Amino acid sequence: MPDESLDHFFDRLVSGEPISRRSVLRRMAASGIAVGSASAFLAACGGVEGSSSNKEEVDTSNVNHPKAPIGTLVFSNWPLYIDEKVIPGWEKANDAKMRYLEDYNDNEEFYAKVRQELEQGQGIGRDLVAPTDWMAGRWIDQGYAIPIDKKNVPNAKNLLPSLQNPPFDKNRDFTLPWQSGITGIGYDPTKTGRKLNSINDLFDPAFKGRVSMFSEWRDSAGLVMLGQGVDSSKATKAQCSAAIEKINEENEKGQIRRFTGNDYTKDLAAGNLWACVAWSGDLVQLKADNPNLEFLVPDDGGMSWSDNMLIPQGAKTPYGAETFMNYVYDPVAAGVIAEYVNYFCPVDGVQELVAKKNPELAKNQLIFPDQATLDKLYSYPSLSAADERELTAQMQKVTGA
Amino acid sequence: MSSSGEAAAPRSGGWLTLRRRKSLLPLALVIPGLLWLILFYAIPIVSQLWISLQTGNPDDGFAQTWNWAIYGDSISEYSEQMLRSLQYAGTATIACLIIGFPLAYFMAFKAGRWRNLFLLLVILPFFTSLIVRTVAWQTILTDDSWITNALKTVGLLPQDGRLLATSFAVIAGITYNFLPFMVLPLYASLERMDRTLVEAATDLYASRWTAFRKITLPLAGPGIFAGVLLTFIPAIGDYINAQLLGTSQQYMIGNVIQSQYLVVREYPTAAALSFIMMVVVLIIIAAAARLIGTKKLSEAAVA
Repeated sequence: MPDESLDHFFDRLVSGEPISRRSVLRRMAASGIAVGSASAFLAACGGVEGSSSNKEEVDTSNVNHPKAPIGTLVFSNWPLYIDEKVIPGWEKANDAKMRYLEDYNDNEEFYAKVRQELEQGQGIGRDLVAPTDWMAGRWIDQGYAIPIDKKNVPNAKNLLPSLQNPPFDKNRDFTLPWQSGITGIGYDPTKTGRKLNSINDLFDPAFKGRVSMFSEWRDSAGLVMLGQGVDSSKATKAQCSAAIEKINEENEKGQIRRFTGNDYTKDLAAGNLWACVAWSGDLVQLKADNPNLEFLVPDDGGMSWSDNMLIPQGAKTPYGAETFMNYVYDPVAAGVIAEYVNYFCPVDGVQELVAKKNPELAKNQLIFPDQATLDKLYSYPSLSAADERELTAQMQKVTGA
Repeated sequence: MSSSGEAAAPRSGGWLTLRRRKSLLPLALVIPGLLWLILFYAIPIVSQLWISLQTGNPDDGFAQTWNWAIYGDSISEYSEQMLRSLQYAGTATIACLIIGFPLAYFMAFKAGRWRNLFLLLVILPFFTSLIVRTVAWQTILTDDSWITNALKTVGLLPQDGRLLATSFAVIAGITYNFLPFMVLPLYASLERMDRTLVEAATDLYASRWTAFRKITLPLAGPGIFAGVLLTFIPAIGDYINAQLLGTSQQYMIGNVIQSQYLVVREYPTAAALSFIMMVVVLIIIAAAARLIGTKKLSEAAVA
């Protein structure tokens, strides 16, 4: 997306400093939403034929991707989600090239862009993509994912135990987490005038018009449910629906200023928002610029999620993709990425490595959460495709579209 | 038939007589344009209509059921956002006209050797992306910005008021983004106006105001009409300003269509809404053309 970089450029102009990972916020979505949409829009305008024919169980017991020349590996990932220093290491070791694209701006949008090719059984010109848990589940259910030949990924043993059996991919047959993160509350104590500790603090009338939530229901409603004492990972459709209704009530009262994508970071940094639903990695980076800001994993709980590496149907070199997965699950490469990205690192053994170079970072609860923090984290509800659609439609109504 | 015509026929390959060639030529000239229209206008519209009448869901597929009811349903469901789009686009167009006319007038008649510089200044914003410019307004209008604070100090804005995330910000954003589309046609029509007509009017004892009203304004008519169309039509479908400068209470029909296509994946609803908006716009243009006259409309198109 050309405008992605323009937006970064603009940020740099405003802040008057050279681009660095500290001054540029990850996933500047303002541009992502708008520009990405235009192309996806065109893609979506084509036909809408049925896709049910694709649904068949993929046999994952006997996957075999023998060693073969890789050529060029194409990876579509979220913007600012890698330290590109690590890529040449893999290229050298495998005598291959990587085309690293930062064109995964939004789960639904990326899906809308490639949907037609997938439905027709074609490849999408990528060997790796990075959908979030629930979206990875959709790709797997629709039969759009190629199972991983685990013989090629011995380092997968380094995956943190808490991430080994997600509901959408019970044995990690199709996916490996790229990075994980926590959805909680980002706030500025100097504006709110007090420390927050619960999700329900977002509904304090004193913060009217100074609060934002994500327009995507899974994070927003998930947190609200935790505030209502409901375990989000086991939530029923009715409970999700009730949580969305609660958000609707607060919105109609004027409590919620906006429903955002990643662009909340700008409003939070500018002081337009006092408290909002936020992603942990963003706050690590925002704090570097504005130390007043705090990230809270609420006492009621926070949501945890991963963006997952997944090999899409029609990939030219599944073997190449697997060698790359293996490479980034080596703690050394994973450490380089973790230091740059600031989300929580799914690879075991990285914390010790980072501690030697950068002890401050190794103590950061948001990158290397301890057991007490992990115990407070819940995953997204797992519902049927039809239920998810209805809830998406309900949330879109609440957000005015 | 003269003998020269008969002689030409065998040279050009048998059946293609001069007369036939003469009658085929206009057709040949129109074919590229016609193909273009069919390929990029007629087919997409038919396909959109086709999709809008389907029912189903994105995971199991959609099937054609000739569900005409969707048009009524979409209108009643999203009438709020449709009316808001018309209202915002209308307000912004009027604002553009009020700001743009004096500017175009100044550029055409008073700017002298600075004229090209002003033209450049009007076009200059196009050198940057629309989104970057709109995001810049986010920064300018923040709650703690000097503009907001100044307005609060003089009492134009209540103490807990805000500029960003309001209808004001959205309409101002649309006005700002579409201003060049208004100024340029206005400038074009004013610039080629014969100034001696105004002199003649004042010689015949018309006041300056009367001369402006009776001479300048009617002659600028096609430019005004073109400017209004060029501003109003894209402004109706705009969703970037509402997205970046507004809240869910300011979303326009473009935001709904975007979300129906890309988030909810209800393609029939999205197609129906797009179709309805297109028809509404066509009706408005037709009504305006009636009002102003088709002759002026074609003049406007030339301008």
